[in-house]
Amino acid sequence: MTEPSIWTNPEGWKAIGAALAVGITAIATALVQREIGSAAIGAIIENEALFGKALILTVIPEAIVIFGLVVALIIA
Amino acid sequence: MSLMDTIERGWNGLKRGWNGLIGTRHIKGSRKGTANYSYLNARVKGMKGHLFPKETYPRLMNMEIDQIARYIQESSYKEDIDQLAQSYESADLVEHALNRNLAVSFTKLINISEDEPKYLITEYLRKFDVWNIKTILRGKHVGASSAEIKENLVSAGEYTYTFLSGLAGKESTDEVIEAFSESYYYQILKQFDGTNLSDIENMLDKMYYEHLYQSIYETRTKEFKLFLRFVQTEIDVRNLLTLFRTKKENLAEDEIMEMMIDNGNVFEMDDLKKLVSLSYEEFIDELKRYSLWDKISDCCSIEMSSLIAMETSLKKYSLTYARQFSHANPLSIATIMDYIITKNNEVNNLRIIVRGKSAGLSDEIIRNQLVI
Repeated sequence: MTEPSIWTNPEGWKAIGAALAVGITAIATALVQREIGSAAIGAIIENEALFGKALILTVIPEAIVIFGLVVALIIA
Repeated sequence: MSLMDTIERGWNGLKRGWNGLIGTRHIKGSRKGTANYSYLNARVKGMKGHLFPKETYPRLMNMEIDQIARYIQESSYKEDIDQLAQSYESADLVEHALNRNLAVSFTKLINISEDEPKYLITEYLRKFDVWNIKTILRGKHVGASSAEIKENLVSAGEYTYTFLSGLAGKESTDEVIEAFSESYYYQILKQFDGTNLSDIENMLDKMYYEHLYQSIYETRTKEFKLFLRFVQTEIDVRNLLTLFRTKKENLAEDEIMEMMIDNGNVFEMDDLKKLVSLSYEEFIDELKRYSLWDKISDCCSIEMSSLIAMETSLKKYSLTYARQFSHANPLSIATIMDYIITKNNEVNNLRIIVRGKSAGLSDEIIRNQLVI
């Protein structure tokens, strides 16, 4: 019996699709959080009272990667 | 690139690399690199939030000098007033505190920035080095005391306060000039012969703007282009102010041209030559052809006896321009330049109020001088 090829196995393609969904959205989140995070740190240094707001704004882009994760779970 | 170009670039690089001199802060910015504008802008916006709103000035106008000192002590000037309260009092205390705060704020900008913005801010703040050199020379020339000179020093540029206040205590102008023998200001300062101080001051100013322009126009990135527009607008405003003052006094064409600064945006050198050659009435008529006329048309006429209103309008234009520019270009050098210009204006306004009150000027005169 021959080993099934990765190119013809639908499970393989699904796994690749799921990985891309999580991977690309994680990179997008990271890029956005870099900007927001550094601005948040700058704002907190000048005014400590902004910590709560800064934290919320910093985690908002997490939604992007969560959407990616959901898509990945649906695919897989 | 030819060999001569390479040598010239190397030489310019060496000239720029005079950071390692005694009395300087060893600032090293870079034209390249990844500048973190998000961080810098958030901090600068935070710092801008500590500036006085415009409603503060009418309140300050109704206070005595000691009350003003107490009022600003409750703001971002607290540390400065606290530290200097033992050495100075009244108007001197406020003046010293304002200068110290200005120096601390601008030095902070240099310290929190890196790479490209650090380079641009450092180049711009050399303005204060020129200001300090002029202050010390002028002070020594007219025989002012060391304390009087120190009162006007703002060590926001590359030279430290310790170095500059040491110079304020020197005996003669020659000793002061010798202290700058390693810097590129020396080529101008060595021409001082005891009688040509105003020429030296003009040359220093022109050299500052020439150097600033040279250090930014070659690099054609977005930030450098924005910064260049700021500098060119400042040159235009400065040239126009000089033109009004000199034309009003009927100075000779050659003398006026020597004060003109090249590389403006609205006024190129040919425009300036043309404007300088005209009589005062023709000069004002000719100005109507330029875009800057809109900013001063309300208060500018041939009959006007005082230039104060016109000067205030031009300064207001600089402030408005900086603010609009920073709104149009968030996360860029524009926000930082807006802060520098607004902070400088706040300190000037406070100084005008305090000095005006201590000199016994009427509220009306002081109010006209304020740029709000």
